[in-house]
Parts: sequence; C-alpha cells; structure tokens
Amino acid sequence: MAYLELNNISKVFGKTTAVADFNLKVERGELVSFLGPSGCGKTTTLRMVAGFETPTEGRIIIDGMDVANKAPNQRNVGMVFQAYALFPNMTVANNIGFGLKIAKKSSEEIKKRVQEMLDLIHMSDFGSRYPWQLSGGQQQRVALARALAMSPRVLLLDEPLSALDAKIRVSLRAEIRSIQQKLGITAIYVTHDQEEALSISDRIVVMYDGRTEQIGTPFRIYNFPETAFVASFIGTLNSFNAEVTDLKNNILSIGNLNLTTAENLEGRQVGDKVMIAIRPERINFSSEQKKANLFDCTIENITFLGSIVRIQVRVGDLRLAMDTFNNPFLELPRIGSTAGITCSREAVIILNPDIS
Amino acid sequence: MNLISKARKISIWSWFWFILGVLYYVLPLYATLVFSLQMERGVVSFKAYESAFADPEFWRTFSYSIFLAVMTIIVSITLVVPTAYWIRLKLPEARRIVEFITLMPFVVPAIILVFGLIRIYSFPVVIPFTSIQIIPPLTNFKVGTNILIIAGYIVLGLPYMYRSVDTGMRTVDVRTLTEAAQAMGANWGTIITKVILPNVRTALLSGALLTFAIVVGEVILASFLGVPAFGPYLFLLGQHRAYEPAALSFTTFLLTWAAMGIIQLVTGGQGQTTGAH
Repeated sequence: MAYLELNNISKVFGKTTAVADFNLKVERGELVSFLGPSGCGKTTTLRMVAGFETPTEGRIIIDGMDVANKAPNQRNVGMVFQAYALFPNMTVANNIGFGLKIAKKSSEEIKKRVQEMLDLIHMSDFGSRYPWQLSGGQQQRVALARALAMSPRVLLLDEPLSALDAKIRVSLRAEIRSIQQKLGITAIYVTHDQEEALSISDRIVVMYDGRTEQIGTPFRIYNFPETAFVASFIGTLNSFNAEVTDLKNNILSIGNLNLTTAENLEGRQVGDKVMIAIRPERINFSSEQKKANLFDCTIENITFLGSIVRIQVRVGDLRLAMDTFNNPFLELPRIGSTAGITCSREAVIILNPDIS
Repeated sequence: MNLISKARKISIWSWFWFILGVLYYVLPLYATLVFSLQMERGVVSFKAYESAFADPEFWRTFSYSIFLAVMTIIVSITLVVPTAYWIRLKLPEARRIVEFITLMPFVVPAIILVFGLIRIYSFPVVIPFTSIQIIPPLTNFKVGTNILIIAGYIVLGLPYMYRSVDTGMRTVDVRTLTEAAQAMGANWGTIITKVILPNVRTALLSGALLTFAIVVGEVILASFLGVPAFGPYLFLLGQHRAYEPAALSFTTFLLTWAAMGIIQLVTGGQGQTTGAH
C-alpha cells in the first residue's frame, strides 16, 4: 500500500464537477506535482487532502488511515499557501512554533525545534521579526518552516511561488526541493507553471477539466505526452492531424507529406486518422539525403529567446516551429530562404485520440 | 519643469484643503473651549468645569452611561465578530443581506426603534394560546430596562461595529489564516482568540470607540425608556445652564480624542501584512 492514496476521488460543487474520479498513489518521500491550467481541479484536490473540502466520493488514505471525513486539524498535514498566510500578529519564531504550542509541547522543545527550522531555512537570526518586516521570499520560507515544524505526515504546497518574482522563484523552488529531499517528507505541490513542475517533481499529475490526463516522471511527461492536451500544455509543440498510410514501414501522411514514426502502429488500419506531435527542438537543419523525414522548407520568421532561437518554417502548407541552441557563432538562415530540415522517427509522437 | 510646478501646485492645494478641514473641526471646539472658560465675567477660569464636576448627578449619569457603553461593546463584539467571521469564511453570499440589515439604523430613526421596543416589551411574552409568561414586561424593572436599552444601542451601533470588523477582516484574509491555523491543529476557539481577534484588534477598537461615542451621547432611547443616562442629563443641563454643558461637551471631546490616541499607541505598527520586497 502506498503512503498516500487518493482513491476514486470526486468533488461536485452544485452542477459543476471540479474533480472527477481522481486516483493517485504517492510513495513515502515522493514529491508529486499537480499541474494544469486554472480551473482544472488541482487546488480542489489538494484542499481535499488538507481537509478544507470534503470529497463528494472517494477515499483519502494517509499511512493506512482513511482521513476523508476528518477535520483539517486532525490530519497532521502541513500546508504552504500562495499568500504565505503568516499570522501578522506573531513573530517569525511564534509563527513557526504555533503548531507545536497547539500540540502542547514544552517550551524548551518548542524553542529547540523553532531554532532547527530557522537554521533549515537559513534565517537563524530572523526569529524576532514580524512577517511585515520580511520580503516575500523570506515570508514563504518561514511559511515552509512553520508547516514542517510539526513533522507533518504530508506536506502540501499550493502554488507557493506564484506571488514571487522570477529570480526568487527559481532559487526558492530549488530550496524547497532540497529541504523536501533532506527531510524525506512526502509532498504534493500544486502549480500551473510547467517549468516549476518539471524541475521540482519526482512525478507529475497533469490535470485538465477535473480529470487526470497523464501521470508520470517529468522526463516521460515531456518526451512522451499521451494526450494532445499534455503535449500542448507542456512546452511548445507542433501538432497535426495525420493519416496512417503504410503499416509495414510506419508511414503517416499529412497531405502530400510522408512522415516515418517509430511508434507502434499495431492495431491500426491504413486510413486511420491520428494526431501527431513533434517538439521544436527535435527538428534540425540537414541536407543529408539518407535521413528520415527530410523536407525542404522556407524560413518565415526567426525569434531570439535567449538560450534558444525559435525559427518558424513552412513546409508545403504546414507551419512548423523549430528550436536551435543559441551560441555566439550561430549562423542563422535568412528569412525567405530555403533549407532542408529533418527529424528522427522517434521525434514523431502519436497522441491518444480519445482524450481532448 | 512642468512636473515640478505641477507637484508644487498639488502640494499647495493639498495644504489648503488640509487646513480648511482642520479649521472646520477645530474652530467649533475652540469656540466651545473659550466659551466654557468664561463663566466668570472678564476672567478666564475653570469654574464651569468645577461646577459641572461638582454635580453628583453628572457622575451618576456619566458612570451609568459608561456602564451601558461597555456592556453594549461587549455584547456587540460577541455578536458581530463571529457573524462577520462566519460570513467571510462560509457564507459570502449572505454578506449583502447582512450589510443591508446593519445599515437599517440609518434608515429607521431611533424614535421608531424605541417606540417599537416599548410597545413589544412593555407586555409580558407568553406561550401562544396559554397564559404562561416566558418573559415579564421588561420595561417594568431595572434589569429589564437595561437589557432593552443595551439591545437598542447594539442596533444603533451596528453599522459602525459591523463595518469596522468586516473591513478589518478583509485586510487580513481571514480565510487563509483560518486554514493555516487549522492545518496546524488549531480548533475554532484557538483560531478566533489567537489568530483572528488579535489581527482585527484595530478594527475592534475603532468599532468600540464609535459605539462608545454613540452610547455616551445618546438622548432619545434613554429619555423614552426613562433611564438616568448622560445624554438626557446633558440635554437638560443645556436647557437651564450655559457654561457647564460647554465644559462637559469639551471634556467629552477630549475623552474621545484620548481614546483615539490610545488606539494609535496600542496598535501602532501592527496589522501590516505586505512584505518588503
């Protein structure tokens, strides 16, 4: 049995189904992210684990105990909120020690634990300050320490970095991950930022419209998206409707263009419609005739994005985006010129037609 | 250059309006003070104050009004804080209705309120179809009258108390603070006493101060219910004397200002929720 299990969870508000038949097993010490656009049900699911919402159906099991109908103050879960939620009337030390005081720990124990937590977040000398005397990043670190002080069974983080600026977001997410791994705490992290989810998670649950689209490691989610939604939500993507034309040689056609894929076409028929996707970074310039999926294209636009350069090309009637790494000696084609482009058979992914 | 001259222009106008506002409030007070010091012809003295404070009726009515004000504040806070908190937390759709109800005292005059109270509570409340009394006529005994007048004052102070508390709760995001406290194992009692009340302290003090001012100066309810309160005393005094009411009015202003100063001292620097970035 997994450490945290969400079995057939659903939540209905009036006539709206916020979460439908949600299933997840989280192992002890794992960090799982819920990723999806606004309104996809990720925060509602997290709030059900915290106890702030009661599931309409389903079971929530933490360490073998069903907590679905328990009050939030009886679950021993730590929560970090987007808006920090530090108590303005209390110092940093009192904020961190609040849960321990509720649990009636001795004052020596509270003092020791608070100092441990302050050291953990590298804010050892900030115990006597008030929340309003701290920056946003510092407040969120205190909120994290406060949630961890009681050694919760599960740590829940609800878009904890959304209110911070880009630079602090990157450093703080690394700090959160490092602390989570150091303590070996089981955590659920809600975000709508794909980069954040990819960088911090052991596994990602991609959600859309109250449903689970795909559960997998960041590597699998990015490289092998199973649905059109996952493919389009994570990173940039070229997607097309194609038709199976040759089962023996794994050939798909988009109009007059033929593409070879490494995907298994077993069970499909010639003439079947499929949706395919190619990541921009999997397309390269090439003129080698032997390469699979070699096409002539016209350069339409070039956009400099810092570490990468995005090139929009046209192949027949198709528009494609391709990415190439930036370097100071990069020779870029001119807009309007023609060039050869290619992508490997493995780069052509078939998306699940049943979803989205 | 344009910007600088514009800034100066704004600054001059700001000062003009500020001084005008100060004069509007200070001049009548100053006039009251000057008048109250002229009881002895041609001499500036505190005789009016001495005379007013020497009257045992003043102390009796003033202390009684303070008692009514304190009771009103306690009951108001007990009623309003959980109501405003629950509405913010669980019943946001009821907010408009409650806001409308709390504004009723602005629409319904105090005279209507007191006649309503007298009409209903000067008769015993009985169990329907029987003659068994549940509540005796409240106007017939002192405790009953006190209950009635405090209830009336709660209604009169409701717009100020509710708005103060509601605004205070809006500024500290009670929902998230409640959830944060719940996640740390706190029960409702702990959340309200340790988290919510300390963070709406300023709002509570503002509401309490306004309620205090209303109760201490109130005349209509106290007169019609026949209680020996400070408002009717000041009113009667004003009909027979000239200088003492001015002295007492000025003293009341000073007391109010002192209370506001205490609020500033007690709450100074608190309640800031935004971080320094």
